[in-house]
Amino acid sequence: MREYAFFLGCIAPNRYPGAESASYKTAEKLGIKLLDLEGASCCPAPGAFGSIDLDIWYAMAARNLVLAEQMKKDIALICNGCYKSIWEVNHKLKHHPELKERVNEVLKGIDMEFKGTIDVWHLAELFYDPEIVGVQKIRDSVTVSLEGTRIAVHYGCHLMKPKKERHFGTTEHPTWLEEMVAALGAEPVEYRNKMLCCGAGGGVRGYDIVHSLDITNEKMINLMEAKVDALTEVCPFCQLQFDRGQIEIEEKFGVKYGLPVLHYCELLGLAQGMSPQELALDLHGISCEPFLQKVL
Amino acid sequence: MARTKGYPEALEKKLADTRLYEDESHPEFTKTVEKISMTIPHMCFQCGTCTASCPSAPRSSYRIRKFVRRALLGLEDEALTDPDLWLCTTCYSCTDRCPRDIAPTDVIMAMRNLAFKRDIIPVNFLKTVQAIYTTGHGVPNNDVNRAARKKLGMNADPPTTHAFPQYVKGIQYILDYYELKKNADRIVKEREG
Amino acid sequence: MAEKKTKKETAPKKKEATKAAAPAVKAAAPKAPATGKKEARVGVFICHCGTNIAGSIDINEVEAYAKTLPDVAFAANYQYVCSTPGQKIIADAIKDHNLTGTVVAACSPRLHEPTFRTATKEGGLNPFRFEMANIREQGSWVHMHDREGATEKAKDAIRIAVAKAALLEDLIPKSVPVEKAAIVVGAGVAGMQAALDLANAGIKTYLIEKTPSIGGRMSQLDKTFPTLDCSQCILTPKMVDVGRAENIELMTYTEVESVEGYIGNFDVTLRKKARGVLSMAEAEAMGISGGGCNGCGDCEPVCPVIKPNPFEMNMKPRKAIYIYHPQVVPLLYTVDFDSCIKCNLCVDVCGDKKAIDLEMKDELIKVKVGTAILALGYDMFPIEKKDEWGYMKYENVVNSLEFERLICASGPTGGHMVRPSDGQTPKKVAFLLCAGSRDNTGIGKPYCSRFCCMYSLKHAHQIYEKIPGVQSYLFYMDIRSFGKMYEEFYYRIQDEGAKFIRGRVANILEDPVTKNLIINAEDTLLNRPVRLEVDMVVLAAAVQPSSDTDRTRKLFGVSCSLDGWLLEAHPKLNPCGTTTAGVYVAGVCQGPKDIPDTVASAEGAASAASIPIHMGEVELEPYFAQCIEEKCAGCGMCVNLCPYQALALVEKEGRKVMEVTEAKCKGCGTCGGFCPGGAIWMQHFATPQIVAQIDAFLLGGVK
Repeated sequence: MREYAFFLGCIAPNRYPGAESASYKTAEKLGIKLLDLEGASCCPAPGAFGSIDLDIWYAMAARNLVLAEQMKKDIALICNGCYKSIWEVNHKLKHHPELKERVNEVLKGIDMEFKGTIDVWHLAELFYDPEIVGVQKIRDSVTVSLEGTRIAVHYGCHLMKPKKERHFGTTEHPTWLEEMVAALGAEPVEYRNKMLCCGAGGGVRGYDIVHSLDITNEKMINLMEAKVDALTEVCPFCQLQFDRGQIEIEEKFGVKYGLPVLHYCELLGLAQGMSPQELALDLHGISCEPFLQKVL
Repeated sequence: MARTKGYPEALEKKLADTRLYEDESHPEFTKTVEKISMTIPHMCFQCGTCTASCPSAPRSSYRIRKFVRRALLGLEDEALTDPDLWLCTTCYSCTDRCPRDIAPTDVIMAMRNLAFKRDIIPVNFLKTVQAIYTTGHGVPNNDVNRAARKKLGMNADPPTTHAFPQYVKGIQYILDYYELKKNADRIVKEREG
Repeated sequence: MAEKKTKKETAPKKKEATKAAAPAVKAAAPKAPATGKKEARVGVFICHCGTNIAGSIDINEVEAYAKTLPDVAFAANYQYVCSTPGQKIIADAIKDHNLTGTVVAACSPRLHEPTFRTATKEGGLNPFRFEMANIREQGSWVHMHDREGATEKAKDAIRIAVAKAALLEDLIPKSVPVEKAAIVVGAGVAGMQAALDLANAGIKTYLIEKTPSIGGRMSQLDKTFPTLDCSQCILTPKMVDVGRAENIELMTYTEVESVEGYIGNFDVTLRKKARGVLSMAEAEAMGISGGGCNGCGDCEPVCPVIKPNPFEMNMKPRKAIYIYHPQVVPLLYTVDFDSCIKCNLCVDVCGDKKAIDLEMKDELIKVKVGTAILALGYDMFPIEKKDEWGYMKYENVVNSLEFERLICASGPTGGHMVRPSDGQTPKKVAFLLCAGSRDNTGIGKPYCSRFCCMYSLKHAHQIYEKIPGVQSYLFYMDIRSFGKMYEEFYYRIQDEGAKFIRGRVANILEDPVTKNLIINAEDTLLNRPVRLEVDMVVLAAAVQPSSDTDRTRKLFGVSCSLDGWLLEAHPKLNPCGTTTAGVYVAGVCQGPKDIPDTVASAEGAASAASIPIHMGEVELEPYFAQCIEEKCAGCGMCVNLCPYQALALVEKEGRKVMEVTEAKCKGCGTCGGFCPGGAIWMQHFATPQIVAQIDAFLLGGVK
């Protein structure tokens, strides 16, 4: 059983606890044990902190990294925003000694030192990696096939972009998450402009909610055109934007969609036999019922 | 940066000189932006790939190409005071496609950092800071969620700074080191009273 | 080398002034090396090169320093030493001050060594008694903001050069005869033109082409800008000329296997790939009277194997026995042995002509030539690597060569412009310029591919000509219409209705139902994002060196630049030469060129390649190794070390000693550095000369 320090972030534990719960359980079934990372904080939000002062963003993320270094475990996480902060700061500090020095100067004050001894992974990439889990193993773990459902994928931005720094290959036409959806028995569905941003990032959701939702709405239009039963993603912030966002879109633009939005771990949980209650799907802004009826 | 003509105020505004003058350019602004962003806006050839990739462009006056141009020319005031600066969703599509291998997204981030030094910042950014200062989380737990967690058989609070509040001190130390909390409180107070 | 010269009478013309200090070239050289230090009188000439050098080096200080150096009998400075008066200063000083060697502190030897050698000769010295100190490229230019440091470095460079100049000897370059034949590799328009020029100048020319037909990329084009001549119409007469020219020995379906030798005497081995088909001449030679392939084409219909035709950009089928198109030269079928199932149907139908031999094997052929021209051409950059435009993913996104075939009357659609997804005539076509060019991401190419702007304008014209009511959109960053009548062509196409949108396309999406393409760009002049739905997209993809370029250039010892294009000897003043004497480049393999520039470059290369042949002999730099026979133990270890097979053991006066074939020796020094007995003397880079340079550097200015 591979062990990782599980970096929770904010939105999963504090808004979609089912995603958190499902992560522990689904990962365990696939041979990955997620350990508590005591005292972790917000990653911190790359849009807000990065915009204010990148140095503070580096230092705050480094503190979270050091907690895992002290555990001598690589970090696994389930949020693209967290990935941007934790993976990217880890990467930057490892490759820019002067930056590392600057950050350690701050961390000294709390008896911490960033050493660069661990790596950071998105749980989804661990699931996809055939050396670690792989699509076949996911397929084998399914007890409740999602057959008969059409599911679209939203990759989000901060996991794979900028592609030159990352290691996920194409950011124009990726299909690896679709493969993981197909492994659950569902039909992955392509839709227009799949790689468009959810609209939430960079502080725009807080700065100009209507602007932010208009981007989300463009995605919703394209998703509805593809006649999908649900949208899946690997980022609770994108999830929030699509899920709560649909309610806000209805309020502000008068358009109603009712498209269920599930984190991939929630979807995997369902396919591995977890009940909607165990996944706290009732906390979602948009009811998952129509989708669940097709599945269960 | 209009030249004063000494006309009545309304005409002064209407007939303001719109030419670009050399003294609006601050080469050190270009350098500072490049240092913070770790990218090379001075290599931009204005092809527009960035704007065309931008999810914000079609629904606003935000043109990331224009900001990169301002970085190149050192047009500090024009860049930092433009409210469009805050419409980048940091999706990095422009960065992925830029043929000159510039990271326009990071140029925007650097400019936002410099704007903040002038107290130019939307308050929602600062409220996230305040939340983290208090709880360690930008989106903290709430009662509904606590109840739901319990129902799932989990602790009401996640094993983060929520369950281990002793770690919040370290976070406060870092934020105080940069005087961020102080500045955030001050600016929020100035804006909202 | 067959006609190895054993002339040993090449004794140096002894200069009275030098008091016969220097050893003679061959036999004498080894006996008394490095003499005459006492008598050495070196002149130092320091060049300002305008402000290029004087701007960051204190010339007066350097000159004063030079005068303090041992063996320096004279020092002077001048604005431009390479100028006529500058050269006269050198010549005069040699006579007036009885100099035995000269040092010019200026630019690089690559630029002006020949100039100053000539000046040294003018003064009455052997030209090899000149040494250059590079204080510009390696001095003033790289230390522009460090005057003091650059000045000190210049002093070092001069001190080192003087130490060598004091020990330089008279050397006599060796002349070798030049084979009166040339080889041209690649038979696109560049190679064809070069071969025709050489042949018309009376030179026997081997024209080698790796594909079954000559014609190259130009034969794939429909029309040519800005004149709009039909490409085939202007090319086929040339192809026919090549096929008929008496002095041209055309070898298609043939590749260069290996190259040995040097200017004047290249031994080139060619691999004539098994073609499976005999020409009429070959059949005749084999005693099959009236047999061989006459291009009748009877074999083709009976062949059961179907493969895509690369000439048609794989948009049209061909058989396993095929010709690319009806106008091929030579008109000779080819068997694709990778896909042939040897059913023998073609052999049967060919009958008495007996042209087809399915057991044919590759054949190695040796030719001897004096000079060589590489005209290796280009390939399209695999534009699918820029995945934002969806080439290979979206059916209606094509590259520009595919467009040429689609609009060409002899192409797969008979010239009916249709889009691949449904065979419909497109009504809105977008052209993406700089697709993969001017790209610094590491995926595309950083250079401008140079002819895409113009052919895209031509493409726009062609659809207006063929499709009533069509609309073209050209997405561009800059329109580079720099050639003769090009800007006028741009004007004309704009007048014809082409819409120019100044913005690079960010990405293309495909409508899953209609297969139309949705283009996202910014109209940067309007400052607005553009979303445009079109029926078809043509990517003006970058060009890159052809797949065989790297292998072939290495065989000929030609360098390439970072992006793989062959490196010319000088980008401005010697654009067709290479750093390998006797090897020249023509056409796009040296860098992207349109047809006029390609043909001009081919004619330039042909002219350059004919000079040594017409001269009849060439001088080789006398930098070869020499055996000091009394020291040589005849161990023979050097013989095996030599990378150029230039050394051999011979019997002399009853014992074995090493002997150098001077024309083969490149002066690399491998043998000299290795010889355990110190018996090898590297002319112009002799051990005492190099040691003196090292001493001069390490011991500083100590007298």
